[in-house]
Amino acid sequence: MSEVVVTGLGVVGPFGLGREALAQGLAIGEPRTVEVEHGGRNRPVAALLAARLTANLTALLPPGAARRMSPPARFAVAATRLALADAGLASGSDTAECGIVTGTAWGPPWVTEQLLSQILLKGPDAASPALFTESVANASAAQMALAIQARGPTQTITQRESSDLIALAEGARLIRNGRCERVLVGVVDEIVPILHSLLDRLRALARPHADRPERARPFDARRDGFLLAEGASVLVLESLRAARARGATVLCRVHAAVAAFDPSAPAHDWGSGGIALATTLRHGLESREVATSEIDRIISGASGSRRGDRLEAAVLSALWNGRELPPVVAPKGTSGEYGGGFLAAAILALAGSPIAAPAGFEKIDPELGVRPHAGPLPRPKRALVSALSAGGTAAWAVLGEP
Amino acid sequence: MSSPRIAVTGYGAVSGFGYGVEPLWRGLAAGRSAIRPLSRFDSTRYRTHLASEVPGAPAADRLGRLSLADRFALAAAREALAHAGLPERLDGPGAPLTGLYFGGSTGGMLESEGIFAALLAAPGGALRARDLGHLAAQPTSGPADAVARALAVGGPVQTISSACASATLAFGNALDALRTGEVDLALVGGSDSFCRLTFAGFNSLRAIDGVPCRPFRAEREGMTIGEGAAVLVLEPEERARRRGAAPRGYLVGAGAACDAHHMTAPDPRGGGILRAVRAALADAKIDADAIDFVNAHGTGTPHNDAAEASMLRELFGGRVAELPVTSSKGALGHLLGSAGAIEAIATLLCLQHGLVHPTPGDGAPDPALRLDLVVGEARSLPSARYGLSTNLAFGGANAAIVLERAG
Repeated sequence: MSEVVVTGLGVVGPFGLGREALAQGLAIGEPRTVEVEHGGRNRPVAALLAARLTANLTALLPPGAARRMSPPARFAVAATRLALADAGLASGSDTAECGIVTGTAWGPPWVTEQLLSQILLKGPDAASPALFTESVANASAAQMALAIQARGPTQTITQRESSDLIALAEGARLIRNGRCERVLVGVVDEIVPILHSLLDRLRALARPHADRPERARPFDARRDGFLLAEGASVLVLESLRAARARGATVLCRVHAAVAAFDPSAPAHDWGSGGIALATTLRHGLESREVATSEIDRIISGASGSRRGDRLEAAVLSALWNGRELPPVVAPKGTSGEYGGGFLAAAILALAGSPIAAPAGFEKIDPELGVRPHAGPLPRPKRALVSALSAGGTAAWAVLGEP
Repeated sequence: MSSPRIAVTGYGAVSGFGYGVEPLWRGLAAGRSAIRPLSRFDSTRYRTHLASEVPGAPAADRLGRLSLADRFALAAAREALAHAGLPERLDGPGAPLTGLYFGGSTGGMLESEGIFAALLAAPGGALRARDLGHLAAQPTSGPADAVARALAVGGPVQTISSACASATLAFGNALDALRTGEVDLALVGGSDSFCRLTFAGFNSLRAIDGVPCRPFRAEREGMTIGEGAAVLVLEPEERARRRGAAPRGYLVGAGAACDAHHMTAPDPRGGGILRAVRAALADAKIDADAIDFVNAHGTGTPHNDAAEASMLRELFGGRVAELPVTSSKGALGHLLGSAGAIEAIATLLCLQHGLVHPTPGDGAPDPALRLDLVVGEARSLPSARYGLSTNLAFGGANAAIVLERAG
């Protein structure tokens, strides 16, 4: 089986374009947010902010091409171009046999909303064929493939907050099993007011209080929700052999991936099956010959969700049998939830970028007993990355130093 | 180390022929069509009015939060477990580590549309608290999550949403996970119900025929949309035999490839699906000559059927003139994200019965396609060993699987 490495990373997100922009943001630990404009509809909302993409994509995506794409497809194609440049690869000649695996929690909600509005308000004859074409969840993957003429296997994973790590796992599997030498793994999501409103009304989002600003506070006793984010991250995965043959710079290795399900989870929240999840994770790591003693960093998917972070802490505590955890970083406090920032943060951490404790952390939750690490850390040798979903899905990856 | 042989030990289906694999096979083998006037919602203002609709609906759950697609999926999954001789829940001591690999395109969109319509009509667009739980419970992954929750699945759960190739792609992921021992048992399937968005969307593309779809016919003008679900139980043959379960067939190969040609139109030469099929054959370690029949994607759209026929001619050469080709969509309509799952069951049933089911649809086969389309009556093929099933999708996603007869 081929060893799998990451050789390129493209990021389009709230901090701007390129992985350096995200790296700088993560090093500071201060999220980049704007107030969501609801235009008088779907109000009132308690949460006001979201981490939105404000950068101009024109340099990466000509307006003529962008017009034919949904917003997430634009993000994904722009991030693809950045990823290929980062990996030193040319579109076309280096990507003809490339596979593409994307992950998205929400698909293209703006397009879906527009299309439904046409159908429901004006009648089915008003449905736009152009919008319908872009309404499928795999539209971003398809636009990526068209943009770089990639003809390898393609698939899109839609498994909520775990979509990113499942996409990474399936991308790595295509290489390990010899189905591809090179795969682009993309994670993409967009924010629309109705999604912001829905998550707010479900009390999923962090909200402002009289004594503290609106912030996601992973593992904090006073956490009250996550920060909604949008954007795209695209990773270039290759077999180690192929990467070495072309002299590519390796950002990190993909050692293992494990996934599980928590049947105790309701459809729209996290469950309480931490011990069962940890048992499946432990067996999965053992079968892939990864010992927890080798893991020197936890890149946690804790987002500031009340129940999600509680489940995350329970899984980690059970996995380490109550022993002291390796240093934990929680980049979603800065990057937000969705839009690829988390997976990109994990790759950056392995590549040596510092991840500061999120600015919102103030008070440890004694029930959880996890404190995001503050201060400098050495570059990790082997990190456990986690992504637990509302609804029950759980996914983890073990990434290693180059 | 050689990888284990992966057996199919059970399956369940919900289709326009009703609940269960038995009515599915009766309908397919007899060459009947389950396509009728659509009644799930008022289609008066739509350009077309036909569909393959599941008759009746399973009872709603206590909270009323399961979508129709969720309930189709649960019915198919429970039938599959019973067929495989497995308990109704997959947890407890000694339970196999089970993965769930699902294809789907719209999840609970039908139910979400109702809430969205109310939202558009409400002053200020405020969401009612009662609707929040319903809306939040309808992601694309809803059917897979609902099955995993009800059956207490403990392993990987994933939903692939690559339009009409979704479920076929799910077979590939499950096959790899079983071969490497990542899971002991896999449930593979898909579920989709009608919704206004897809019905209006495909009509806007003029991709739906005004009469029941006519796959590979000269006069074909488009597809007919179907709904339903299908779930298959897959496990290593050795494990199945240890627990006394009889293989119903084998999944021996899977392959995928992208056209990178157009967002909706297939590569007219079928280049992407040809690469997917060749990858599936290589995975199965067999030559194209070993394939005994093809359950084609065969939507009935002029472009798809021509591209697929081009692929078949290229792959099989002169043999294509006598290679039986069928399309389950002539009977069931197009089940979109779950099409690959129900067509995999149809392919296995053909292998088991030594019969290739016919392709309902009016008119003569298109002579320009030069295919041996099975029409009218089922074709006896008692020695058939390998069946090929193909699916093509929006965005140029193509996937293929090779199934082998048991025994």
